[in-house]
Amino acid sequence: MKVIIVGAGEVGFHIASHLARENKDVVVIDKDPAAIRRVSDSIDVQVVIGSGSSPVVLKEAGIKEAEILLAVTDSDDTNLVACLVSNLISPSTKKLARIRHADYDEYHEAFSENAPHIDTLINPDIEVVKTIDMLMNVPGAVEVGEFADGRVIFVGIRLDKSARLVGISLSEIFAKTGKQSPLIAAVVRDEELIIPRGNHKLEAEDLIYFISEKDKFRDSLSIFDKYVEPIDRVLIVGGGGIGYRLAALLEKNSVYTKIIEKNPDRCIELAEKLNKAIVLHGDGSDQELLKVENIQDMGVVVTLTNDEETNIITSLLAKRMGAPKIITKISKFSYLPLMSMIGLEQVVSPRLSAINTILQHVRRGKVLSSRSIKDEQAEVMEAVALETSDIVGKPIKEISIPKGALVTGIIRNDIVIIPTGKSVIEPNDRIIIFAKKQAIPEVEKILAVKLEFF
Amino acid sequence: MRWSFILNIIGMLILFLGICMIFPLLFGLYYKDQSVIPIMKSMVITIASGAGLTICFRGVKVPYISHREGMAIVAVGWTAIGFFGAFPFYLGPEVETFVDAFFESVSGFTTTGSSILTNIEAVSKGLLFWRSFIQWLGGMGIIVLSVAILPFLGVGGMQLYKAEVPSPVPDKLKPRIRDTAAVLWKVYALFSLLQVFFLLVGGMDLYDALCHAFTTMPTGGFSTRNASVAHYDSVYIDLVIIFFMLVAGINFSLHYQFLRGKPLAFWRDSECRFFIGTVILLIVIVTFNVYGSVYETIGRAFRYGAFQVVSIVTTTGYATADYELWPPMSQVILILCMFLGASAGSTGGGMKCLRVMLYLKYCYKELFLLIHPRAVKHIKIGGVSVPEDVVRSVLGFMGLYVGLFAFSTVLIAGMGVDFITSLASVAATIGNIGPGLGMVGPVDNFALIPNPGKWVLIWCMLLGRLEIYTVIILFVPEFWRK
Repeated sequence: MKVIIVGAGEVGFHIASHLARENKDVVVIDKDPAAIRRVSDSIDVQVVIGSGSSPVVLKEAGIKEAEILLAVTDSDDTNLVACLVSNLISPSTKKLARIRHADYDEYHEAFSENAPHIDTLINPDIEVVKTIDMLMNVPGAVEVGEFADGRVIFVGIRLDKSARLVGISLSEIFAKTGKQSPLIAAVVRDEELIIPRGNHKLEAEDLIYFISEKDKFRDSLSIFDKYVEPIDRVLIVGGGGIGYRLAALLEKNSVYTKIIEKNPDRCIELAEKLNKAIVLHGDGSDQELLKVENIQDMGVVVTLTNDEETNIITSLLAKRMGAPKIITKISKFSYLPLMSMIGLEQVVSPRLSAINTILQHVRRGKVLSSRSIKDEQAEVMEAVALETSDIVGKPIKEISIPKGALVTGIIRNDIVIIPTGKSVIEPNDRIIIFAKKQAIPEVEKILAVKLEFF
Repeated sequence: MRWSFILNIIGMLILFLGICMIFPLLFGLYYKDQSVIPIMKSMVITIASGAGLTICFRGVKVPYISHREGMAIVAVGWTAIGFFGAFPFYLGPEVETFVDAFFESVSGFTTTGSSILTNIEAVSKGLLFWRSFIQWLGGMGIIVLSVAILPFLGVGGMQLYKAEVPSPVPDKLKPRIRDTAAVLWKVYALFSLLQVFFLLVGGMDLYDALCHAFTTMPTGGFSTRNASVAHYDSVYIDLVIIFFMLVAGINFSLHYQFLRGKPLAFWRDSECRFFIGTVILLIVIVTFNVYGSVYETIGRAFRYGAFQVVSIVTTTGYATADYELWPPMSQVILILCMFLGASAGSTGGGMKCLRVMLYLKYCYKELFLLIHPRAVKHIKIGGVSVPEDVVRSVLGFMGLYVGLFAFSTVLIAGMGVDFITSLASVAATIGNIGPGLGMVGPVDNFALIPNPGKWVLIWCMLLGRLEIYTVIILFVPEFWRK
């Protein structure tokens, strides 16, 4: 399968390295020779230097044989034009564009029905706001994801020192708490991700990933001694695209919201658009301002400016001043592994969510959604079990599931089944699979239709 | 630098080389000659050493190869391959000292074609086949071949590929390096087969046709005959070999485009135009220079002039005439051809046309800026600006090439070798051509070079084949610092 990626920024780079690892034929186009050099030095892909919206360049990259075009530059305009041009040269190529501006929100459908025929528009900001919303509502969660249209929740939480489960092995959870444990998919200890067995003992500071039905979610959380509390006050630092979207959402949910923005013109704009939220003009890293606005009484502080360092500093400041819960926006991937080290565990990354969303569209078989976790060490995928694939009709323990992968949920006609070795996957079930990075190509293979090869 | 990992990969390369020895062995068995036992012994030694290294350093799995490690693997790997490739020569009765065997082997793998054998026709058929076959392996690159057919290199193949094929502007024909390497080898094998066919039509026997195709396509120049191609004395065979030497001297990505149905690719490529244009110009000059003074008819002047110019400029090194008897102007032109070399991305050696073009354009730019000090001017190849760092690396290459040439010449001359021979032997080995002038002219060989001088020339051949940087970097102390 040939994939053309326009844009060699963080998003393009990471998608390219994911796909190259999965043995796909990847061509990356970018104008900037330095960005292209970074790609060609470290990933086994073909590179073309030139503008991704130029027909000549697209032809040189082989758009005619390409199955998918991913337009993921930082510029909405370039992405749209790249799709438009490829539609002219090669109408059969599937096109995805990363579009961030909120003005396009209403036109996502129109773009796929009319001329550039963009199959999917991806706006990572929408995903990020959704993730922030979920993170705010789940105490102690480091990562949250939804599957099966929100019926299944996937959470990563840090186990407190005082929790009951410290020093308990997985098979003893029921005896200890008297409650059925949710399926624990993975445990991260000392930056290393492991898929635990029944005799695996949990320790304090472990990062635990588990899957739970939405209805039983509160119960599941209480096993880990975490309790859901309603959020009533939120402080947002940075009133850009994501900040505004989040403020509007909170306003709708009647949450008391303050939003700090540095640019006075943007403040005026925000004040016009928002009705209840308080718009404050100032610098988020200004300690006086934070004190005056009672930062310690805020339920959640979210730092969303466009400057990485400002976000980190503001979050650290807020933490020191006593804010109970802080969510930080980080775009630079090299910072992500550092965040838990400096005590900022709840991190959102628009680029990472763009990558997650785009990858699920590229995968073979019927993968509905996927998201990578813990610095891309593993992925959780939701897929439809096709009638012709290898996994259907047998008890799970008889399927040759690749090493490093785990079936963590089966959804059949609105019922969520947490599988055991005896469960049987039936055709058209939706399954949730957890897979380490190395196991992904194999997982993709067992999900794919066998007939595809003939 | 993870040495255990590097040695593991080199072990696999050696193992692979050992397996390749099966081919000369089959020829030896077929002709029932004296090469069977030495080749069998070498095969056992090579396979055992390769397997030993691989097993001793197994279990080191690394997700990537760094740029530095890639260069170390290629430079050390090539030396090791030259070393093990020398065993069939050394263990047989034809070659006496190890340095001679090593010289012959490295000359083969680097597609130089300089020989220490004085009577080639007396050498057993099996060994002569090995001598031709290693040129074929080395031509497109033994590491490129490994990247194409061995799965173990995986992602790291790219760093190795870049270290072995250090073209100034790398062409990746396919999205994945493995496919790119496979495509190049397929094109290479296809042309080799075609040449075998055309040589057979010209009346050569199958053995000679195979051996000559295996040394023409990599622009190697080992022949199975004492008199080289002159032995056949056939206009047809001369023309076939001229044609295939030119093919081998052109960038293989253009051949690939041509085979994919783009016949204009050759014309559109400015380096290819430069290369063909230069060859035609030089043929015309040499033809008129030798017409009358050496050859009576214009036809004969053209036949020998063209063959020799193409043979030297593509760095093959076959001979149909003793050009030492030609007028000085022709000899000087041939020496200059040794420096020019063939196209980047071809199997030929020398400085490469692309670099010379860039260098000339750079010189013109400097002159232009003296006249218009405020002009903004880019160096362009085929209408596309060449990035500043590529130009810089080319200038560095030219400087190092000339510097190392001068340094090695001084070393050789210091051993008591005469002036012309010193110059020509270094030029012929660093450019991977083969024969030089003086004591190492087209009808002589390298047997009379003193032994320490042979080591210097072995070094020159490796420098030339891996295009300087990959080899010389090992001699820079900074490379070894952590």
